[in-house]
Amino acid sequence: MLIYSARRLLLFFPSLLGVTIIIFGLVRMVPGDIAEILAFDAGTERGAVVDENIRRIRAELGLDKPITIQYLGWIKDGLSGNFGFSYWEKRPVAEIIRERFPRSLELAALTLVIAVVWAVPLGVISAVRQNTWADYLVRVLSISGLSLPLFLTGILILYVLVRFFAWLPPLDFRDFTDQPLENLQQLIWPALAQAIYISAPITRLTRSQMLDVIREDYVRTARAKGLSERIVVYRHAFRNALLPVVTFIGWWGGRLLGGIVIMEIIFGVPGMGTSLIAAVSHRDYPTVQAMVLLMALVFLLLNLFIDLLYGLLDPRIRYA
Amino acid sequence: MTEQRVTAAPAATATALEGDTLLAQAVSGARFLAKSQPLGVIGLFIVVVLCAVALFAPWLAHYGPKITAFDTYQPPSAAHWFGTDHLGRDIFSRVVWGARLSLYVGLASVGVGVTLGWVWGLVSGYFGGWFDSVSQRLVDILMGFPPIILALALMAVLGQSVNNVVLALIVLLMPTAARTMRAAVLSIREMTYVESAQAVGCSHWRVIFVHLAPNTLGTYIVLVTVNIAYAIVVEAALSFLGLGSPPDEPSWGGMLTAATESLERAPWIAFFPGLAISLVVFGMNLLGDALRDLTDAKLRGTTGAE
Repeated sequence: MLIYSARRLLLFFPSLLGVTIIIFGLVRMVPGDIAEILAFDAGTERGAVVDENIRRIRAELGLDKPITIQYLGWIKDGLSGNFGFSYWEKRPVAEIIRERFPRSLELAALTLVIAVVWAVPLGVISAVRQNTWADYLVRVLSISGLSLPLFLTGILILYVLVRFFAWLPPLDFRDFTDQPLENLQQLIWPALAQAIYISAPITRLTRSQMLDVIREDYVRTARAKGLSERIVVYRHAFRNALLPVVTFIGWWGGRLLGGIVIMEIIFGVPGMGTSLIAAVSHRDYPTVQAMVLLMALVFLLLNLFIDLLYGLLDPRIRYA
Repeated sequence: MTEQRVTAAPAATATALEGDTLLAQAVSGARFLAKSQPLGVIGLFIVVVLCAVALFAPWLAHYGPKITAFDTYQPPSAAHWFGTDHLGRDIFSRVVWGARLSLYVGLASVGVGVTLGWVWGLVSGYFGGWFDSVSQRLVDILMGFPPIILALALMAVLGQSVNNVVLALIVLLMPTAARTMRAAVLSIREMTYVESAQAVGCSHWRVIFVHLAPNTLGTYIVLVTVNIAYAIVVEAALSFLGLGSPPDEPSWGGMLTAATESLERAPWIAFFPGLAISLVVFGMNLLGDALRDLTDAKLRGTTGAE
């Protein structure tokens, strides 16, 4: 296990390094001079003031230094929690992230909980009752779920809420620590929309895993021993089918980050996603850099965690 | 793989070959498909309709996609089948032109992205060694980003345009395609026909492109169909977020952005482009599933239910 973990960790750091280089390089690839773009986006007219501004922005971003120094400086600042200054929101990026990251995290967690609570049991039922009406219903539902793009599910739910319940996304967001009930009322809908979307593949995978496992010899043995069907399904089959499902859910947890951006926009949740979109459309590069890096970091850490968990749960992986 | 695909042609096609007319072959082929993959045929039908609409957009649409000459927020009527939007554009015309845009983005990005990934995976898997290690680490890095986030970051740098969306999608599709193709190559690299090709003195490139490539064609075709739907959805999502195709382009996703503002007053603005996206994705998924069943020897002979 130790060797396996070490080998997996060795893969993590080069990936992280590569990710930082790509993010850093991307922003340097912007056509034109970033300092100039930023200065003009600030809305001033060209003239002495602007030239002065451009010089100041250039110095602030460290653009007057060699590129390797810039990169190392960026990494060093990042490690000490300094992510630069947002030109659009006119405050440190670290502050924006501290305020908004927990909200997005909460939305992601809520989504996963809702999805798992119904997707896994549906998959099990569908497999245990293969080729009955219940199975067909679950399969048709999950295929349809797959075909509805995430933002459509979101808009559909928003429409139903607006049209039939006169519910509008509230203008002022309440944090969970302040008013937990109001907070949940706000986040439950985007979480639900996204849960509908990701539960389809989870159900399909649970079903196919269960179908594989149910045909195994040890399940037949368990039945032959005279164990009740319940114990056979839950203790012998389900536990063994669960492993790929767990990793798959973790994998989805990472991909949720993209979906959360869309959900936050539709339901007006002031999280990381709304900030990122605003930053991208206003070419607020320090914010874009920091947020993309943070999301990639979460994604990489999650993948690392899943692989380590996999190794822990399934000894075969370690020796492969 | 090749041999399997040949035997996949059913007895019905074999008799049609004797009949020797192209039409008879087509008919019996279609009959076989309809029997073994009914859902796939529905998917194929939807995809064919999409292609037809995209191809004949100038004749099908009543107006140009960017014409804003009409009253705003008109509900569907005889003059405007799908109503008009917040700028007074005919939604039916925009949905029709949108088929062309979606198909273009899907075909261009997947055509380039998956094909490059295919070649990448072939070369990487065949040669192995340091080139393989380095390129797999590069794939790791590109896959280290949440996909939509990477696309957003690329759009921030490239700026909004339809072709930049295609470019961002190529970057997104290439690594996953390369990894899948590499896995496929690893399993066939050790086959005896590869060994014998090497033994008779074929060059590496000849082995790769004449002997390996055709045998990964099944995987390639499945990757293409599955990813066209994915590319169409990502384009729609990016445009929906206001960072994909510019707002005046008839992108189905972009049409939904404006629609969310007036959901209660004018739900038809959201309804028709939304319906178009889900139909196309549904059709492509069905077709992709069917193709996977047809190319995957393990599933052949079953209903594809397991």
